[in-house]
Amino acid sequence: MIVERIHRFVGAPAEADFRALALDAFAYQFARIAPYRAMCERASRTPGTVESWREVPMIPATAFASMELVTAEAKEVFRSSGTLAGATNEQSVHRHPFPELYRAVIDATFPRHVLPAGDQRPLLSLVPPRAVVSDSSLGFMVDHVMSHYGGPESLYACGARGVEGGKARSWLNASQREGRPVAILTTSYALADLLDFIGRIDLKFRLPAGSVVMETGGFKGRTKEISRNEIRERLTTRLGIGADAVVAEYGMTELTSQAYTRTLFDGDPDLFVPPPWMKVRALDPLTLAELPNGTVGLLAFFDLANVGSALHLLTEDLGSTEPGGFRLAGRAPEAALRGCSLLAEELAGR
Amino acid sequence: MPVRFAVPAGFEPQSEAWGAVELERLAAALARRGTEALADVSLDRRLEVWSQTIAVFLDPESAERRALFPGLLETSGLSAEGLCEGLEIVLEGAAERPARALAATLPPPRRRGLAGVVLAGNIPGLAVQSVLPALLLGRPLLLKSASAEPLFAPALLAALAAREPGLGQGFAAVMFDGGKPDLVASAFASTDRLLAYGGGDAISSLTARFGNRLVACGPKASVALVGTGIDAVLVARKLARDIALFDQRGCLSVQAVYTTYPAGELADALEWALAIEHRRLPPGPIPPSTAALVQQLRGAAALRARRLPELPIAAGTVLIEPEPRFTPSPGLRTVCVHPLGELRQALAALEPWKGRIQGSALAGDEAWALAPELEACGVSRLAAAGELQAVDAGWHNGGLDPMALFA
Repeated sequence: MIVERIHRFVGAPAEADFRALALDAFAYQFARIAPYRAMCERASRTPGTVESWREVPMIPATAFASMELVTAEAKEVFRSSGTLAGATNEQSVHRHPFPELYRAVIDATFPRHVLPAGDQRPLLSLVPPRAVVSDSSLGFMVDHVMSHYGGPESLYACGARGVEGGKARSWLNASQREGRPVAILTTSYALADLLDFIGRIDLKFRLPAGSVVMETGGFKGRTKEISRNEIRERLTTRLGIGADAVVAEYGMTELTSQAYTRTLFDGDPDLFVPPPWMKVRALDPLTLAELPNGTVGLLAFFDLANVGSALHLLTEDLGSTEPGGFRLAGRAPEAALRGCSLLAEELAGR
Repeated sequence: MPVRFAVPAGFEPQSEAWGAVELERLAAALARRGTEALADVSLDRRLEVWSQTIAVFLDPESAERRALFPGLLETSGLSAEGLCEGLEIVLEGAAERPARALAATLPPPRRRGLAGVVLAGNIPGLAVQSVLPALLLGRPLLLKSASAEPLFAPALLAALAAREPGLGQGFAAVMFDGGKPDLVASAFASTDRLLAYGGGDAISSLTARFGNRLVACGPKASVALVGTGIDAVLVARKLARDIALFDQRGCLSVQAVYTTYPAGELADALEWALAIEHRRLPPGPIPPSTAALVQQLRGAAALRARRLPELPIAAGTVLIEPEPRFTPSPGLRTVCVHPLGELRQALAALEPWKGRIQGSALAGDEAWALAPELEACGVSRLAAAGELQAVDAGWHNGGLDPMALFA
């Protein structure tokens, strides 16, 4: 079965197998998602005609907000925390039939990029536990990471109302005392909140050498935005963690796989490296033609691990590709009423 | 490059980066001398100077227009053709005849102190809508230009002052960082009326600071209602203008079409008409982030087996959406056609947006029959297709009487 073959590929990728897997996975989705099949037929792109993953018709990320795109009974349902730009006020819903495949993806990528020494260490999660966010894809991932890679001192310090500063402070104190490297799993926004909290009481920690921060996401849907450089500076000042110990993760509710920066291996801190089973292209925003490396366009991902929903996904994110990965260049703002609507930006000073 | 500020003669700004102290000084100077200086110029003379000034900016060959145009082209993000037509429609609405008509409605002024306006930057030339009533009422006015359109207001005020120096004492336009509360407070603390365009957090923050002195014009959208018994080609041709003007950035830009006419036929006609508009009024540079949103809509239409848009994305996107729910368009001349059994159903679809629908283009008797109900819902502009954006100085933007605002 295709899902098992992809599962095996995730465990032991062999580039030579990718094409066949991609085409078989397309055929699988073509057979099981009726609206997708109809769209492919209208475009005369069927398993009989498509010869490369590039030719597999894309599904727009916003379609997850209004359509059921699933190849089998969903075992997990993930909802986006914000709204998709093209689908105002609608949440993206990723019905996931293969959570075991998702776990395999996490196992094959997270430790490799974030905990390369293979140790179990104290983890601080600034992502709420699944009991609080049962339908969060990131929550699912962090739950798996906490239970498989976290030492006994691991802690969630984020609840329904956000970052729990007091709990985080105690954990940071204890970690500093213990002297063992730790890892913090966080969204950009939660990290900014934690740093705000620590800053307000003017604490400065020196987390043990080898400690790491895995940061994901931006400030979408939030009124407060802080520059990446400012976060990095405050991380160094307040937690004693340098920019060379911050691994950025790129993921989205509509994808199963994640890409990471190779910061811990002296890699470019802005270059996201996708796993071997996920291909990325930048497309011309006007024509959707594939762009050469280095040119900013719309990012599209072909993620074999998304075999249960949408293999080939057109995102709203802007970025460019280059050998080995891709860089982000922004995200489309939400569609909003215009006319007299620019004051918010004006007054926010952006 | 035109200057980005206009201040009364004798006021020497230290730099273009306006600080709190300087803004306070400027507001004080306007409040101190403005009312008297404006009162020294008769209403007839004010109208005469205004009319001459607008006529100059309407004339593509005038020196003032030629000096302003390149900078405006750069900041507006419109094509040269789009900017020309946009300026024309905004300025004609404030030209001599509508200005005199507005003057005929002059109420007895109750306030004479300094007023303030925080301008939006989505459409060039909008400063005329607030400067004209203030000018007629003899009220000094401090305008904060948007960073996206910092040029027109200073150019307008400079042109007025060049023709009648007394007017220069009553008005100022500056651009400063609106994200800094101390600057906003310094500029407008002494105003007894502040008109601000915008929404959300920005307006909340101003409301907290200025209380009932603030008049907020929130973000709005416009739609079209098209009944049966129309000439679809003709209506589409006119609607395409309502959609394409200002690259669909205005609050009077049509974003959705509700119709009892066969939706497929109307959509085909609209696409044809948008293709013509694309040649006549090409779009300005297309932001990739906006194109990203439109590509999502196009992709979703393909997946939902809806009518596939055939135009290049730069020319526009016409979608058919059976669900009548209104969704704001991402721009780039993207419009959803909603087929209805009865046009009245549009009222229910727009109900959740009550107060945020600025205008409606109407075509066909069935559409015009709904005019009273649309007005009752707070729609401030009803017009025949093709005329929606052609407002004049007396238009009650957002339902607000421009004279009453400053009187």
